[in-house]
Amino acid sequence: MIEQKALSYVNMYGVLGSLENLCDLDDGAKRILAKLDKPVSLCFKVVGGPCCTFHFTKSGCKMTEGSAGSNMMMTFAAPQHFNALIDKSIPGVPVKAPAKTLKFLMGPFTELTNILNDVLRASEEKLAADRDLFVENTMMTMYVIAGAIPALANTDSISQISAGNTVDGDIEMSIPNVAAITLRVKDHKFSTVKEAAKNPRATMQFADIDLAHGLFAGTVSTVNEMCRGNIVLAGMISMIDNVNRILDRVSVYLA
Amino acid sequence: MAKYPEYDHSKSREWFDRALNVIPSGIYGHLGPSEGLFLPLEKWPLISSKAQGTYFWDMDGNKYIDMMCAYGPNVLGYNDPDVDAAALEQMKLGNCTTAPSYKMVECAELLVDTVASADWAYFMKNGTDATTFSVLLARAATGRKKLIFFKGYYHGNDQWAMKADYPGITPEDVANNIIVPWFDIAALDEAYAKAKGDIAAIIAQPYDHGNFYDNVLSTSEKWKEVRKWCDDHNVLLIFDDVRCGFRLDLAGSDHYYGIKADIICFCKALANGYNMSCACGGNHLKAAASSLSFTGSYWMSAVPFAACLATINKMKALDTPKLFREKGTALTDGLVKIAEKHGHKLVVSGEPALFYLRLADDDSLMLHQKWVAECVSRGLFIASHHNHFLNAALSDEDIATAWGIADEAFDAVDKTL
Repeated sequence: MIEQKALSYVNMYGVLGSLENLCDLDDGAKRILAKLDKPVSLCFKVVGGPCCTFHFTKSGCKMTEGSAGSNMMMTFAAPQHFNALIDKSIPGVPVKAPAKTLKFLMGPFTELTNILNDVLRASEEKLAADRDLFVENTMMTMYVIAGAIPALANTDSISQISAGNTVDGDIEMSIPNVAAITLRVKDHKFSTVKEAAKNPRATMQFADIDLAHGLFAGTVSTVNEMCRGNIVLAGMISMIDNVNRILDRVSVYLA
Repeated sequence: MAKYPEYDHSKSREWFDRALNVIPSGIYGHLGPSEGLFLPLEKWPLISSKAQGTYFWDMDGNKYIDMMCAYGPNVLGYNDPDVDAAALEQMKLGNCTTAPSYKMVECAELLVDTVASADWAYFMKNGTDATTFSVLLARAATGRKKLIFFKGYYHGNDQWAMKADYPGITPEDVANNIIVPWFDIAALDEAYAKAKGDIAAIIAQPYDHGNFYDNVLSTSEKWKEVRKWCDDHNVLLIFDDVRCGFRLDLAGSDHYYGIKADIICFCKALANGYNMSCACGGNHLKAAASSLSFTGSYWMSAVPFAACLATINKMKALDTPKLFREKGTALTDGLVKIAEKHGHKLVVSGEPALFYLRLADDDSLMLHQKWVAECVSRGLFIASHHNHFLNAALSDEDIATAWGIADEAFDAVDKTL
């Protein structure tokens, strides 16, 4: 049920894409960036898959599509090779500044992804004991999902059915006073904006961060919580129906 | 002082909380808060205590003019005295029996006399049973496997009728489904060629009454083109009249559009809430229908047959399609004027018997949802995403009350703008 090409987009836009937020939220990540001698722009180019550049500076990380501005590049012959970087830390082929690329990849980049892994895969026991980690875990999971939904909507054959039935407009998902993201739909193509929508066509608001965590962890039911009034929906609900179907696929890909 | 103040729903909510403890999502499906789009939840009744005529009451004793009619089954009015008397009389004689009651034969005879395209009737319980039967029959009769659907289709909840992105559905479940735009003959030609002619049937509702968008009426000309295409390609035409059946035309919605379907499916309005559905077809499919292995424990129960006989005869006596057209037009014309008075544009689409409403002032439907919620919370039960259903018990006084509630609901909404 998992398609390697779609998984490569999830890994690029969802998993690695969340480095932007990690570098903004996590003190350990900030310390790693603070040690950078100069800005680094690392491009991952996947043949038959995504191509994105991660621009690291002392103040944060920004992901852009394509290779523009990159000073390091690593290519992958196929989506499954890029997926192996994420799942098994097997690097691709450095093609631009190879020595520097490998040094950065094995150094600061690995340190950052290790933190990302620790945050996203923290055990429930650990999260229960550390409220700050719980909040960070939930927010980071939301950002991973925010990147993964468009990745699947645009590339996964089943999610494309849901995308094909989604009308144009902005869908806002939010946890009040914690985080908000916008899924933008245009001609059945999805993209993510990691901020609240100015003029949403549909909104999905979780009552609080604990509920959002339960939903992301799969310990509570979305429909059940809607029926309890803990998830407040408004607007073009058919858009949210389709996003929920894609969310089901996200959990398959990120399991 | 408001004439229609907001209702309190606290007791209904208590019952719903009990339901949540023991039933997945409390009320699943189209009658529940999730698929029924109870937005916001606190404005809606959740559990009913009783119903009569065109009304139902919730657990707090609040009375609602019901424009959804249980999503269709209430066609004559809840607890219609003639239908209930027939059902109760049959209940005393027998219901679920080893040898089916003669009422089944009478019911089939009445359907064959009433429905223009029917030479026989096959009985089951829900709309999905009828559409699934029709698909099995089409495949058995033609020896072909693929089905053509019109975009935005809904034909029930069996796997074949769902989509590959629905929970629990696999791509293989729907691998034989082809979706084309409504009445697009070129797309039908293309689909036929691509499938190398392996197409058993087109299955469609009489017109496009999908959710979240204005309903789009069909025309006789368009249906005649599709009928001809089916004849030219030996493809069967299945009319899913589960939703519209008997509300547009007592002889079937295919008759309403001047054609004969090969198979036509009925459910909602068939027996005024007594649970039964049926598929009817032409003689050319009778032998194939006999060959199917398709039955259920309660499919030949006599009480619903007795109710069906009384319902159809009463619909004929009242000429319900004409009644619904008149009442639906009067009701919605009035709602449009009230919206205009408040500076809003209310769009009415679909047939008057199954009218669909949309406030066109914003394309997110949020304003529409607010107005619908304020109507519901004052006693006018309407839906924000789905077509409505009329019943014969709806009086002119009820329509006037509906207008009054709609007016005050606009007042409440306008205060929030």
